[in-house]
Amino acid sequence: MAASVNDTCKQSVERTSINPTSFQKKTRNKLLSIPGTRLSVQNGQLLVSTGVTSLDYVLGGGLAVGTVLLIEEDRYDSYARMILKYFLAEGVVCQHELFLAAAQDHPNDIFQELPDPILDDVVMHKPADQPRLSSEPHGNLDAMKIAWRYQNLPKVQSGLASSSRFGHYYDVSKTMEPEIRQAAKCHHFYLPEQPRQSSATRSPVLDSYAALLKSIEEVIRREGFSVAAPPTKSRNILRIGLHSLGSPLWGDDLCCQDNPKHSHALTTFLYGLRALLRSSLSVAVVTVPSHLIQSRSLRGSITRLCDNAIALESFKGSERETGPLCKDYHGLLHVRQVPHLNCLTSQLPDHKDLAFKLKRKQFSIERLHLPPDLSETVSRVSRAEAAGAAALASACGSGNKHLDF
Amino acid sequence: MLHDLLQGTDTGGLFIIQDSGSCSGRRLLWSFIKAALDRTEAVHVLGFEVSEDELKDGLKGSPIERLHFHNAYSDPLAWTGSAIFTVDQFCTERVTKLIKQTSQVKPAILAIDSLSWILRHVSPSAVCKTLQQLKNGGCAANVIGLLHSDMHPRGTVGSLCHLATSLITVKTVLRGDHATITKRLKSGKVLQGEEVFTIRDDLTVIGQGKPSRTEPQEQMCISNMADPTANLTFNLRLSESQREAKEKLALPFVFSKEKKAALLHTGSGRIVYEPDANDDYDQEDPDDDLDV
Repeated sequence: MAASVNDTCKQSVERTSINPTSFQKKTRNKLLSIPGTRLSVQNGQLLVSTGVTSLDYVLGGGLAVGTVLLIEEDRYDSYARMILKYFLAEGVVCQHELFLAAAQDHPNDIFQELPDPILDDVVMHKPADQPRLSSEPHGNLDAMKIAWRYQNLPKVQSGLASSSRFGHYYDVSKTMEPEIRQAAKCHHFYLPEQPRQSSATRSPVLDSYAALLKSIEEVIRREGFSVAAPPTKSRNILRIGLHSLGSPLWGDDLCCQDNPKHSHALTTFLYGLRALLRSSLSVAVVTVPSHLIQSRSLRGSITRLCDNAIALESFKGSERETGPLCKDYHGLLHVRQVPHLNCLTSQLPDHKDLAFKLKRKQFSIERLHLPPDLSETVSRVSRAEAAGAAALASACGSGNKHLDF
Repeated sequence: MLHDLLQGTDTGGLFIIQDSGSCSGRRLLWSFIKAALDRTEAVHVLGFEVSEDELKDGLKGSPIERLHFHNAYSDPLAWTGSAIFTVDQFCTERVTKLIKQTSQVKPAILAIDSLSWILRHVSPSAVCKTLQQLKNGGCAANVIGLLHSDMHPRGTVGSLCHLATSLITVKTVLRGDHATITKRLKSGKVLQGEEVFTIRDDLTVIGQGKPSRTEPQEQMCISNMADPTANLTFNLRLSESQREAKEKLALPFVFSKEKKAALLHTGSGRIVYEPDANDDYDQEDPDDDLDV
C-alpha cells in the first residue's frame, strides 16, 4: 500500500515537473534540429555555415537551406575554388552529405585538397584583435591623456564577425585527414565520365546540364532529402558544390561567343536547380567564370536567378592600379545579390566596400580601408597627371614638384 | 621565367603562346620544339599553318629524328582524297593514337601550330575539352599551342587561356620581344612575370631582363633625398629621464581623476563641484570683502 502511494506520489511529482498545468503548447513536429544548422535571428530561416565565418556574416548569418550561392570566379580561379573547398569541408565537419560536380578536375582531386579543420577552437575571432589604434590598455584612465573623453567609445571594428560562433576554422596549409573525409558521404559527378547521351528533343538545356540536374534529383530522392519525404530517420542536409558551371568544358559556349547559341542553357539549369533546392533540405554553391562572359545582360540574369551572389576580384588578375592595397588584401569582394526569402526586404550588408584576404587559418573579409596616401602628389593631381607632370618637371629641372603648392 | 618554361621540367601542362598580327610567336614555338629535341624528347607537331619543309628548315642543326610532323598543311579539310591529318581528326582519341604510334622512352611533347586554325572549324568548347583531356591524359608530357589572339572574340581567347597552365603573351618592343608570362602552379598559386627576349637564328632564346618602367624612378628620387632630421643644431630626441619628466607633468586645464570618471560615466546629470585653490570659502565672510 505504501509502495503504491509512494509510486503515485512519485508519478504525480514527475507529472507535475513536466506539466504543471493541463495546458499543452502546440509545437510543430517539423522543427528540425539538424547538426550544423541554426535558425536565423532575422527571419527564422534554417541556416548553414558556408565554412567562412566572415562570409556568413556578409550573407546575413549564413546560407539559408534551400538556396543557391553564386560565386563569380576571380580570374585564375584560386579563391573561388578555396571557398568551395571551405564549403565542402564544413559539410564534412558537420556531418552533412556532399555532392560535388566538376568538369575540369575530378571531384576526388578536389576532395583531397580540403583544408584541415582546427577543432580545438584555439583561434577565436575576438573583435579586439583588429588593431586599428596602437595597443593601448583598455579601461585605463591614464591611457589617453588628451582625448580621454573618447575612451569608452568602442573601437572601430573592421573585421566582420557576429557575436556568436557558428562555423569552424580551417588551416589551409594542411589537408584534411583521410579518416575524417571518408566518414562523410560524398556523391560525385564528373562530366567526362558520364555516358554521352544525345537528346532527341530540342530542349533549351544542354545535355550536360540535364544530366547534372537528373543526377542531383536522383540523389535527393534516393537519400531522402526531399521535404515531402516521410521523416523516418534523422534528417540531414545535402551540400551541393558545382564547380565552374558555364565554362566550355561543360559544352556551353556561353563564355566563348559574344552571341552564344546556348544562351539560355545555364539560366534554365539554374532555374531548375533552384526549384529542386526549394523542395529539399539542400544548399548549393555554384561557381561561374563570369569574367569570360561577354554579355552583361547574361551575367545579370545569371545573378538574378541565384539567391545569393558574390563576386571575387583578385588583384593578381585585375588591370586596375592597386598599389597600396596589394600589401594588405588579396582582392575585393562584391556582394551582387542578397536573398529576400519569405519577407519583403532583405538584410543588406552595412558596408559595400569589402576586401578579402586569405590567411593561413582564416579567410577574412574586411571593410576596405584605404591606407593614407603619403605621396606628394596626393589630392592634387591624379596619377596619370602626376606621371605627365613628372615628365615635364624632369624636362625643365627636377625638384620643383616639392615646392609646388 | 622563360628559361624555366623552356626547360620543360613540369609535366602535364598546357602552354599557350598568344601572339597577334604585330608580333609572331611562331619562332618562340619553334624554340620550345628545339629545346625539347635537344633534351632527347620526341615531339609531335600538328602543322596547319606551315609546311613540313619550312619547319625543318627553321630547325636546322637540331636532331630531327625525333620530330614527327603530322601534315595538316596540304589538305586539312579533306578536299582531295589524300588527307593525312584533317581538322576533324582533332579529338582526343585520334591524337592519342597518333602519339602512341611512335614508341618512345619518354612521353612526347605535342606542339599545335596553330590552335586558331582549329578554332575556325571546330567549336571552342570541343577544342577546350580536347585540350583538357590531352593535358590530363598522360600520353603527352606537355601540350604547346600557338594562338592568334586577334582572330577570335575575347571570350574564346579568354576561355582557352583559362585552361592553360602557362600563358605567354608576346608583343614587340624596341629592344626585342616582350613576353608576359602567367604560370599557374598546382597548388593554386599564380606567378606572373615579364621579360624581354630575342631569338637568335639557331632558335636559342636570349633573355634581356626585365622591361624598363617609369615607376622605380620616382621611388629612387625620394630615397636619394637627404634625411632632413640629420645635421640639425637642435635636439629632436628625448632621453629617458626627459621623457619621464614630460609624462609626469600635470597639464593645465586637466580635470582630476574623479571628475573625469564622473564625466565619462555621466547619465545621471550630477553636478560635481571641485573647489579650486582660489575658492577659499569662509563661512563668516562669504563675499571676502571684510577688511580684517
